[in-house]
Amino acid sequence: MTRALRALIVATAALVGITACGSSNDNASKGGAENVKLTFWTHTHPPMIELNKKLISEYEAKHPNVKIAYEQIPNTEFATKMLTALSNGSGPDIINMDDVALRGEYIPKNLLAPMDAAAASKAEAAYVPGTLDGAKGSDGKLYGLPTEFNATAFAINKKHFEDAGLDPSKPPATWAEVATMGEKLVAAGHEGFNFLYLHSGWYTQQLQTLLNETGGSILTPDGTKSALAQPQSVQALQIWNDLIRKDKVGNADTASREATVPFDDFASGRRSMTMIYPWAVAQLKADNPDVYKQMEVVPLPQVDPAKPTGRWYGYYMAVNKASKHQAEAWKFIQFVTSEHDRWLTDVNFVQPVVGWENSPAAKADVPFLNVWAKAYSEGKFDEVAPHYSEIQDEIKSAVERTIFDGQAPAASLQEASKAIDQILAG
Amino acid sequence: MTQEAITGAVPSLRAQRRTLRLARVRTAARWLLLVAGGLLFASVFVYALLSAVKSPADVLSGRWWPREWHWSNFKLPFEQAPFARYYLNSVVVGVSVTLLNVVTCTLAGYSFAKFDYRGRDVLFFIVLATLMIPLEVIYVPLYALVYDLGWVNSFLGLIVPSGTSAFGIFLMRQSIDAVPDELLDAARIDGAGELRILRSIVVPMVLSPMAALALFIFMANWDSHLWPLLVASDDAHRTLPVGLAAMQANNLGSSGIPTMMAAAILALLPTLVLFLALQRKFVEGVTMTAGIK
Amino acid sequence: MARAARNRTGLAFALPALALFALFAVYPMLRVVYLSLFDYNLTSPGRYVGLENYRFLIHDARFHAAFGASIFYVVAAYVPAVLLALLIALGLNTRMRGSGLVRLLYFAPVATSWVAVSVIWRLVLHPEGALNRTLGLHVNWLSSSGSARWAVALTAVWKEVGFFVIIFLAGLQNVPRELHEAASLDGAGAVTRLRYITLPLIKPVTAVVAVMAVIRGFQSFSAQVVLTDGSFGTEVVNLFIYKTAFANARMGRASAVAVMMFALLALVTLAQLRVFRRTDR
Repeated sequence: MTRALRALIVATAALVGITACGSSNDNASKGGAENVKLTFWTHTHPPMIELNKKLISEYEAKHPNVKIAYEQIPNTEFATKMLTALSNGSGPDIINMDDVALRGEYIPKNLLAPMDAAAASKAEAAYVPGTLDGAKGSDGKLYGLPTEFNATAFAINKKHFEDAGLDPSKPPATWAEVATMGEKLVAAGHEGFNFLYLHSGWYTQQLQTLLNETGGSILTPDGTKSALAQPQSVQALQIWNDLIRKDKVGNADTASREATVPFDDFASGRRSMTMIYPWAVAQLKADNPDVYKQMEVVPLPQVDPAKPTGRWYGYYMAVNKASKHQAEAWKFIQFVTSEHDRWLTDVNFVQPVVGWENSPAAKADVPFLNVWAKAYSEGKFDEVAPHYSEIQDEIKSAVERTIFDGQAPAASLQEASKAIDQILAG
Repeated sequence: MTQEAITGAVPSLRAQRRTLRLARVRTAARWLLLVAGGLLFASVFVYALLSAVKSPADVLSGRWWPREWHWSNFKLPFEQAPFARYYLNSVVVGVSVTLLNVVTCTLAGYSFAKFDYRGRDVLFFIVLATLMIPLEVIYVPLYALVYDLGWVNSFLGLIVPSGTSAFGIFLMRQSIDAVPDELLDAARIDGAGELRILRSIVVPMVLSPMAALALFIFMANWDSHLWPLLVASDDAHRTLPVGLAAMQANNLGSSGIPTMMAAAILALLPTLVLFLALQRKFVEGVTMTAGIK
Repeated sequence: MARAARNRTGLAFALPALALFALFAVYPMLRVVYLSLFDYNLTSPGRYVGLENYRFLIHDARFHAAFGASIFYVVAAYVPAVLLALLIALGLNTRMRGSGLVRLLYFAPVATSWVAVSVIWRLVLHPEGALNRTLGLHVNWLSSSGSARWAVALTAVWKEVGFFVIIFLAGLQNVPRELHEAASLDGAGAVTRLRYITLPLIKPVTAVVAVMAVIRGFQSFSAQVVLTDGSFGTEVVNLFIYKTAFANARMGRASAVAVMMFALLALVTLAQLRVFRRTDR
C-alpha cells in the first residue's frame, strides 16, 4: 500500500474520530458524579432576563452540583426555534413559553413532561382556580408553573390628553370613544391610538381580544372549522379597520416593529393610547421614566361596557420531554416560580397565587393595582387548535390585507377562513 | 464618373470633423452616464455609513449630512450583542470550509484529471449532476441528517456538509489537466509517491486557480444564511449573517437604526476589502462559475 | 509503481469529496422525495400519506402565492438586472482610463452579504428613508402589497447587476476587436454592430446568464426574511419551504414543495438551454 493511500486512510479515520467526539451540545451528566447541567431558554424581555440571571446564580449557589446554561432567544424567532428544537430533541431542559404554544403545539405533540400528580395537586390549591389551565393538556395533566400571568388593560398618556383638550380622568370606555378621542389627539399632533404589528402571535392576540368582546371567535365550538367569517368575528376586524383606516387615529406603516420593546411607540411618547400588559408597565418605568409619569392605566375599552371582557395569557416554565434531568428541572422551576414577591416588585410579573392582590408587595409595587385586579377577574385564555402557528400566519395575513392593503374585513376574513379550514382538515 | 459624384462620395473635412466631434460627445455622454450610474450604486454604501454615525433622532430627519458624527456607534453592535463572537465564528467557519474545499477539490480534481480507473467518468458525471441540486431543495432532509449525526449546534454541522463543491472539482480538474504528463511520469520514475507528486509538482502549477477558488468559496460562505440559521443558531455558534438578522429583529425601532447600520457595515467590510485587494482573482472566480455551466 | 496500484491511489484521492457528496448531496436528494410522501415533523416517526402533500399544495392558496411571489421576483428583479448589466458591460468594455474604478462601483455590491445589504436597504426603503426622500415620495415600500414586491426586487437589482456585468464583460472581451473595426469601416453603425456582431457572439454567455438568473432568483431567502419577513406578497418559495418545515413543523409538506421546485428548475434550465442552442444555428 502506498504512503499516499495510508495517509488518506489516516485522515479519514481522523475525520470519523472527530465526528464521534461529536457535537458540543452535551447534556449528559458525567457518569458517576452528581453534576447536572441544565439548559434554559426564554424569550427576550430585558427586565425578566435580569431577574432570571439573579435567580439562577442564587440557585447555583444553593445547589453547587447544578449548572444552568441560560439562553435568550430573539422574540421574532422564538416560536420557530422553540418548536424546531423541541421537535428534534435538541431543545433545552427547561422552557418558558406562552400558554397558546403550550396548549396548541407542545402538549398535543407530546413534547413536554407532565408534573407528577402530587406536586400538581399542591399547585392547584396554591393558585387561583383557572389560571393553571394555560399549561394543562386535554388529559387534565399539568405541564408547567406560571412565571407571569397577564390580563389586558389600556394605557393613556395624560399629558397628550391635556394637549388635546380631553379629560384624562375620563378615559375611553368604548372603541367608539377611542375613535373620537383619537381624532382629537391626532389634531393635537400625536398618534392617537394604534395596535402593534409585530409577529403573528401579536396580530392574533390582539384580534382575539377584540373577538372576545364582540362575541366572535377564531374557531367553531367543536374546533374543526374557522368561525372568522361569521358576522360577530368580522365585527372585531372591522373595529381595527375603522380605527386605523377610516378614522385614521394611528399610522400602521410607520409603527415601530421593535419586538424587544413592543410598546416602543407609547414609551417614546409618540402614541397617546395603547392596549397594555403589566410587564410592559414595568419595562416603561425602567426605560422611559418621564413617559411613565404621564401614563395612566385604565380598563380596556369595551364593545359593550355592561358586559366587560378581556383576555388572559400566561407564560409557564415547563420541562422538555427529552430532558435527561427532569427531576432537577422541576426543582429549579419550583424555585423560580415561588419567588412571587420578587417577580412582582422587580418585573411586574403577576403570578396568580391565591390572594396575590392582597399581598404587601402587590399593594406597594403594582401600580394601578385596582385596574389590574379587575382586569384579572374578567377574561379568558385564547382558543387554540392543532397547527395553530399556521392559523396565526393566516390571521396575520388577513389583518395585513385589511389594514395595509385596504381589503374589506369580511372579504379578508373569508379568505383566511378558507385557508384555516384547509389547515384544520389537512 | 463626374466630379460631383467623386466629391459626393468622400465627406468634406468639416463634415468629418463634425462626425468625429459628435462621436466624442457621444462617448463622453455615455461615459458620464456610466459614472453617474456607478456613483448611484455606491451612494447606498455612503448612505449606510452616514446613517451609522448619526444619532437616532438624526437618522430619519431627511438630512444627508450628520448633525454630529457619532463614531462611537461602531462600538454599539459589540455592546448589544455578542458581535465579536459572530465575527469569530464566521471567520472560523469560513476558513475551515475554504481549506476543506481546496483540499478535497484539488485531490478529486487531480484524481479525475490524471488517473484512469473504472467508473471514473461516471463518478465525474455524478459530481457534475450535483450542481443541479441546490441547497434550497435538500435542506430539510439535510437538516434531519445533521441532527441524527448529532451535529446540530456545532461547528461540524456548519463546516462538513459544505466541505466540497462540484464547481471546485470541475475547476481543479480543468486546471490540473493542463499539467504536462511528462513531468508527472518523470517524477514517478524517480520514485516519488503520488502525494509527493501532488504536493511538489501539481499544486505549485495550479496555485492561481486554487487561489481563485479559495477566494470564491470564502466569500460565498461568508454570505451563507439559511444553513447556519437552521443548524447552529445558538449564540456560541452563530455566524455573522444569522447574528445580524437576529439583531435586526431586536432593533427595528428608530433608536436602533444607527446600531444596525454600523453592524451591517462591519459585517460587509471583510468581503469588500478582500474584493478590493484581490479584484482580479474575484472576477476570475465569478467568470469561472459561469464558464462551467 | 504498478499502473493499477497508481490508479487505485488516484481513486482514493477522489474519495473524500465523493464521500461528502454521497452523504450530503445525493442522499438528501433521494430522501427529500421520500419525505414528501410523509407527514413528518422530526418528533414522531412519519405517517405515510402518499401524494396527500402534493394534493394539499395544489389547492393551497398560500403555496400559489409563494409560487407567484417567486416568479414575480425572478422576472421583476432579474430581467432588469440582466438588461442593465448588458448595457453597463457594453459601456465598460473599453480600455478607457478610469474604467477600472468605475467597474469597482458596480462590482462592489456583489462582494457583500445579502443580510447586510438587506439591513441597509431596509433603511433606504423606510417611509422616511433615502429612496422616498430623494424622489420626494411617501410610499410605504415595505408595508403594502402594492409595493413590497417591487421594493425587494429593487434591492435585488442593485445587488445582482454587478455579478452579471462581470460575466458579460468576460464574454464581450471574447469578441475580437478586429470584427468591430472591420464592420465600422464598412459603414456599420453602433447599433448594427451590436445586433449582428456582439449579440450573436455572446449568445452562449447570455444563455448561462439566463440560467443563473433563474436559479439565483429561486434561491432567494435572506432579502425577504430581513426586509419583510415574507409579508405583503414576498413569501417566496424558499421562505415558504422554511416556514412550512420549521415554523409549522410540516417537513413532509415542505419536502413536497422542494421536489416541485427542483422539477421546475430542471425544466426551466433545460428549456432555456434548448432555446439558446436552437437559435444558435
